[in-house]
Amino acid sequence: MSAKRRQQKNAQAGAKNMKTFYVLLAVVAVVGIGAIVYSMNRTTAGMATAPVELSMSSADSLLQTARGVTMGSEDAPVRVIVFSDFQCGGCGAWANRIEPNLKAEFIDTGKVHYTRYDFPLVSIHPHAFLAARAARCAEDQDLFWEYHDIMFANQGAWMYSQSAPVDQFTQYATEAGLNAEEFTGCLRSDRHADVVTANALLAEQLGVNSTPTVYVGQRRLGNEWQDYDAVRAVIQAAGGV
Amino acid sequence: MLNRMAIALFALVGVLISAYMTAYKLGLLGTIACGTGGCETVQNSPWAVFLGLPVPMIGLVGYGLLMVTALLGLQPRFEYDRRVAVVLLAAAVIGAAFSAYLTYLEATVIHAWCRWCIVSAVLAGLILLFSVPELTRLRAGGDDLTDEVS
Repeated sequence: MSAKRRQQKNAQAGAKNMKTFYVLLAVVAVVGIGAIVYSMNRTTAGMATAPVELSMSSADSLLQTARGVTMGSEDAPVRVIVFSDFQCGGCGAWANRIEPNLKAEFIDTGKVHYTRYDFPLVSIHPHAFLAARAARCAEDQDLFWEYHDIMFANQGAWMYSQSAPVDQFTQYATEAGLNAEEFTGCLRSDRHADVVTANALLAEQLGVNSTPTVYVGQRRLGNEWQDYDAVRAVIQAAGGV
Repeated sequence: MLNRMAIALFALVGVLISAYMTAYKLGLLGTIACGTGGCETVQNSPWAVFLGLPVPMIGLVGYGLLMVTALLGLQPRFEYDRRVAVVLLAAAVIGAAFSAYLTYLEATVIHAWCRWCIVSAVLAGLILLFSVPELTRLRAGGDDLTDEVS
């Protein structure tokens, strides 16, 4: 075979390789883009309404993922921690009746640092997990507490809903001043499912078995959480004078 | 040439993964196919933003640059162009280093594994590996370019 012929043959083989390569590239691109577009249209199917499986290898990783939402000064002398469920009637009473007084008297005055952890009791409250995630979606837009207040103020309107109250939650988002499109995108996904799940696991690890469970410093309150005067007395005794 | 084909292919997969993660970050995706919930943790962590930019978006730009450069480098006109070799090498080294840093964060700081991020890190490693022959082109680049022009 002459050198010229060999060159020609090599050139033909090279051109064929390039063609195969471009076809492969096009196939990968089409399949990949198709998968992404499909995922973007499949929003409701992926909405997380229940705890997810977490890859927690240790207690440390649980503490890394679990995260409460806070109010008040970091330097406040007293820490109050609440494990709460948006669908629990008692938590509604706490949020609507006790919390505003606590906020005005102790949190806004720098005497109490307040942290709320999710503890959705999903076995008896089917919408609690979604509600907790909805509030986290509001937190993404820095309006957690505003949304939290609206959710609890309207608790009776959605807590007995037969299906997931997505529309109500979205309506409350608009009322709270959230960007509805961004909120809906978050709600109809599994975003924050890990944090809410981790918070619930943390509650279980701490032996919390009911909601609301309120800690003032190290002390876990019994039924006195229902009486604001009693709560005030405990906080004052703990140093929040 | 085969190494550039491989780089272009891996970079395309990287572009697709980055686009998927960016879509999630922008709230355009319903759910992220991850399996363990680790992607959620990683994507919502403070380390998912670098210099004010979402990390997947940085990946999208980086892989995009690699893919376009590798495809350009496959054209006879640019086959021996030193600039192509320089961009491929630089982007591959930076990409691999950045991926290594992100993997380190997942392992030691965030304590969660995002499968897509791991796939991306493997791609970055492979791209680095396939960019090694560019060193030869870089050394011989000037001469070869002269040959082609003549």
